[in-house]
Amino acid sequence: MSSVYLDRLSRISALAPARRREPVREALAGDEADRMAVLGAEVGRNRYGEHLIARQWYATPEMCDPCANVLRLLLPAKTTRAGIGIARRSAARNRGISFCRNAEEGSVGPRMDEAAELAADPRKWLFLDIETTGLAGGTGTYAFLVGLAWWDGDGITVEQLFMRDHSEEHSVLLEIARRVLERPVLVTFNGKSFDWPLLETRFRMTRAIESPRVGAHLDMLHPARQLWRLKLGSAKLAELERRVLGAETLGWSRSEDIDSSRIPEFYFDYLRGGPAEPLAGVFRHNRWDLRGLAALAGRIFRALAEPETIETGTEGALEIYGVSRLLDRRGERERACTLYERALEAGLPRSVERTARHELARLAKRQRNYLRAAELWHQLGCRRATGPHLNLRPEGGRGQELDHTPEGGEPSFEACEQLAIHYERRASDPNEAARVSRYALLELRRADRLGLIPPHRHAYFAERFTRRLARLTKKLAQEITDA
Amino acid sequence: MAHSLLPRITIATRSPGAAQGSGTLACVRDVVEQFAARDRTGEIITAVHHIPAREAQWAPMPEWVRPELAAAYREKGVTQLYSHQASAAAAVHAGCNVVVVTPTASGKTLCYNLPLLNQVLENPDARALYLFPTKALAQDQLAELHDLGERLSSSFGVFTYDGDTSADARAAIRDRGHIVLTNPDMLHAGILPHHTRWTRLFENLRYIVLDELHTYRGVFGSHLANVLRRLRRVAAFYGSSPQFIASSATIANPGELARRLTEHEFTAISENGAPAGEKFFMFYNPPVVNRHLGIRRGYIGESSRVAQEFLKRGLQTLVFANSRLHTEVLLTYLQRANPPAVGAAQPVQGYRGGYLPGERRAIERGLRAGGIRGVVSTNALELGIDVGSLDAVVLAGYPGTIASTWQRAGRAGRRSGGSCAVLVASSAPLDQFIVQHPEYFFGGSPEHAFIQPDNLEILVNHLKCAAFELPIGADEKFGGFELAPLCERLEDAGYLHRTAEHWHWTEQAYPADAVSLRAVTSDNFVVVDTTNGSEVIGEVDFASALAAVHPKAIYLHQGQQYQVERMDFAERRAYVKRVSLEYYTDAIRYTQVRVLETAATARIIRTKNNVREPGDEDLPVDAAAERTHGDVLVRSQVVGFKKIKFFTNENLGSGQLELPENEMHTTAFWVTLERTLIESLPFPVRERQNGMHGLLYALESVATLLLMCDRRDIGTAIGERPPSPGLGVEWEEAPAASNLGGANEEREFFEANLYLYDAYPGGIGFSEPLYDAAEVLLARTHELIAACPCEKGCPSCVGAAGDRGDQAKEAALAILARLGAGL
Repeated sequence: MSSVYLDRLSRISALAPARRREPVREALAGDEADRMAVLGAEVGRNRYGEHLIARQWYATPEMCDPCANVLRLLLPAKTTRAGIGIARRSAARNRGISFCRNAEEGSVGPRMDEAAELAADPRKWLFLDIETTGLAGGTGTYAFLVGLAWWDGDGITVEQLFMRDHSEEHSVLLEIARRVLERPVLVTFNGKSFDWPLLETRFRMTRAIESPRVGAHLDMLHPARQLWRLKLGSAKLAELERRVLGAETLGWSRSEDIDSSRIPEFYFDYLRGGPAEPLAGVFRHNRWDLRGLAALAGRIFRALAEPETIETGTEGALEIYGVSRLLDRRGERERACTLYERALEAGLPRSVERTARHELARLAKRQRNYLRAAELWHQLGCRRATGPHLNLRPEGGRGQELDHTPEGGEPSFEACEQLAIHYERRASDPNEAARVSRYALLELRRADRLGLIPPHRHAYFAERFTRRLARLTKKLAQEITDA
Repeated sequence: MAHSLLPRITIATRSPGAAQGSGTLACVRDVVEQFAARDRTGEIITAVHHIPAREAQWAPMPEWVRPELAAAYREKGVTQLYSHQASAAAAVHAGCNVVVVTPTASGKTLCYNLPLLNQVLENPDARALYLFPTKALAQDQLAELHDLGERLSSSFGVFTYDGDTSADARAAIRDRGHIVLTNPDMLHAGILPHHTRWTRLFENLRYIVLDELHTYRGVFGSHLANVLRRLRRVAAFYGSSPQFIASSATIANPGELARRLTEHEFTAISENGAPAGEKFFMFYNPPVVNRHLGIRRGYIGESSRVAQEFLKRGLQTLVFANSRLHTEVLLTYLQRANPPAVGAAQPVQGYRGGYLPGERRAIERGLRAGGIRGVVSTNALELGIDVGSLDAVVLAGYPGTIASTWQRAGRAGRRSGGSCAVLVASSAPLDQFIVQHPEYFFGGSPEHAFIQPDNLEILVNHLKCAAFELPIGADEKFGGFELAPLCERLEDAGYLHRTAEHWHWTEQAYPADAVSLRAVTSDNFVVVDTTNGSEVIGEVDFASALAAVHPKAIYLHQGQQYQVERMDFAERRAYVKRVSLEYYTDAIRYTQVRVLETAATARIIRTKNNVREPGDEDLPVDAAAERTHGDVLVRSQVVGFKKIKFFTNENLGSGQLELPENEMHTTAFWVTLERTLIESLPFPVRERQNGMHGLLYALESVATLLLMCDRRDIGTAIGERPPSPGLGVEWEEAPAASNLGGANEEREFFEANLYLYDAYPGGIGFSEPLYDAAEVLLARTHELIAACPCEKGCPSCVGAAGDRGDQAKEAALAILARLGAGL
């Protein structure tokens, strides 16, 4: 090769090192047996070759009992047909077109009852959590460590499959396929959007090993988010372990956990002959993730099965509120209603409380409990409990409930509008409706003057209330004339 | 003189109720004649080219077309095909890779839609991928396919897949799209790195359609060639080997370009069977107002006057401007001249990239219905978007290439009746060359499109993407390179890891994200507007950042001027404020070129002795000069800038700058002037030097013409010829050269190298073609300078006289004469 060519290569910026690395080649990596000992793993073999495997049994967490009601909440409500329908509609929105008149529809994934039936047996559960060479996804991201776990006796067995380099990927994938075949119910944390699609990509890349059929997939991220994001501000697994599950319950705390953003780096260093110790930290991190996931699953099942047992107090109130939202979304309105009320009673923080009242009012209206709805709208429409404004207590309303209206809260104009509609249409009280409208206009003007409301919102409501008020005034005048 | 250019046409008798076509023809001729009559000196209308009407060449619908498809086309009014459509469809049907080269509005899309839809109907598993250079074109094509789809009873899916496609629509597209319409950028960053999601598409990929092939040249083309290498690699992984179908505007080497892009052999189909009405093409050079400085009347104003001549006769007119700013200016002029009738819509509209699809459709409809009489557009309307045909097209400024000039002019031309296109020249060298040499434009072939898929910088970036997509096999090929040494380098740098059989990607980052198909490297400067708060308004690639966004530079964005206040080198940011000034800035670079390796070199031989010496006039004579191409190292530093007045290009002053040096390995073409030649020039030392600089300036202009590229794509420098013509890097560094006029040019070169280098790291394939076409390059340069009416040099030929010295023009011509050009 000519010196010019080498010189040219040295100037290619695309060939410049990706990041500063420690000179790992020089580090004494020790022999293979040492490395395996550090990782606590032994060689596994199948027809595609070798890989490393580490297996451990733990007494905690304990197996949870999946009750059918909760499973219904956690599994997808509709079959995949609906999903396709949505996709097609938005494709059309996207100015794309599709002519699928005779196309075969649906049929992807298991049917709901079948999935619930499978998932009802916790011995069919397979906890899954992978460690990857990056978070970007795509065909060049590898799952170098695949953690699996299942209930075993009174505790849980954790099995970790590791590829020492890329050539061991096939044998790792074959093992995964076998495990999934034995236990076709996946339980993951964000596995629906990350872990499983990534593994499916890996299976496809082999062009040899078929991606195993998953009987049901319980992704705990979404319920965890519903239940605790308001409380924690995030829904990271480690955070949930610390603040929801608690170290005492779990029996471990992650005091020496690795910085998970460095995981790919540790693996790349290992590949290039670097030490196994940082990777041992990744193995441990992965085990914690799996056990934490198993514990979290138990906690979520309990919370959803018996929300009544959740302790009250602000944090408990938030959790109850989370359960009610989940129920609400899955169409269990009655239970959702009861729990919304409970959460309100338990005392929600101000911002959440308003949202909760809105949701509750919406449900009450839907269930034709107009009185309760009006009451809630009333509370939401008032700026403060005792103010210079008009007395808006609904006829026969429970006045003392007004104490719940937070001090100094801005009125909800949506609620005022709902309330006006309620008086005009259902309570047939145009006077009250007009009064609410006048009040709302007054409040709008104030909010606008103080810059508390965006101009477009102000314009929108001002126009609506003005129109309503004009109509009501006309109606009232007519009534007087008629009388 | 101009009158004699007018062809003789017998005017059809204007009977009342005559067909609209002949009325238009009369109108067009009226305008053309009037212009010619007004031009007393013959310097303004430099050409009137007459293109006679052409009959359609028909061919029957091929027998293999399925009856339901033929019926669908029949419903659309297509019962037979134009000859080129028939031959293209036949070649596709026969399994050939085909490139169709025909002008605007000749029914190119049918050439691929017909055989592809036929295939989809026969085999519902078959898939096709259409690539369009822009999203708007894909949308346009979608409408056409949608229309066909609705007429067919069987089902097939057509989707666009681009940055706007919503996440939930994507899954359906991947599975059900028989035809997926996308763009190279999306293929590169969205589809290939996720190919496992597109298994169905790749397993059944039968066709790849490359529309507007001629746009894939230079950097963009070099990137696309590599994206297609990756695409073929992924397709092969799924066991398919797709056939390519391309369409292109008229360029000199469509077949070659297609072959270089796809690494497949192509059948080129270039005869055009579509009918056309009679047409005039007129060149309009604004009159000179200052002969001494070579200043002409502003071409934007002239363009609007020309357009108004058509508009006031009720002819539908399309005006093309070369920038958004000029679009807006022209629009203002023309809207003022054509106020809407009471209650009617504005008859003259603007049309450019930023408009929403809805607005565009409304304009297109308005044009077809006739409510809109005039449109002022940027190049947005140049590519295949269907606006119907108009009566007149006015080009405000030369579009830069013969190919796109024809494309734009092709927007005028009803199938019956007459039409007219007018090119209004600016004072830029290229414009002046074209209008003063109409035979070059009308007689010659259009440009070649060049790409360099093996540019290492580009190739390595795509090699990384390829490794991400599929592990690289030990004996795999990617382009013309041995992969092992490159992969080893990538392994050392931490990107790849080698196992027994393959190299695997070992980086967290997603490599496609770091590669922009529109630039060589992605080390960009971000331009931040701090006028109100701070807002990112653009990006400038590293190589041009020093020249474009140095402190005090005027940065133009969407017609708005910004002045650079601060340049943060470490953070790669330039902070700008909105200004309104009458000038723009041109960076003064101090450039050194070091020759690393010569690829080929040859003596320049004069075939005619045009330096007056007695006898032997036809014998070949050694010109004491060489032409060479090879690898060079360019070190450049921006040391200052000039302020240049808009429209007139006058120099208004300059400033000094201290910026870091930039180093680039690239390819260059150069001409060496040996001592004998330099000494034979009858000028003082200083004027000789001026002559060389003037010559280089003109060479650059002509090179951009020959290479179908932008002026920014080529860099120039003059340096001392290295002492020994041997190989390699141990050469002495050439002494400083710069394009700074005056002061540093006192010392004379012993022997000078005039360099034209590719302004991109690694080169994008301009040097070798320039080397091969050196004779043409010199000849055209001579024509450009000799025909320029200025006295002592102007921005249209050798550069402004004030910058160059009084004899620069003369000296440049003398050098060219000694190189055998001219006469």
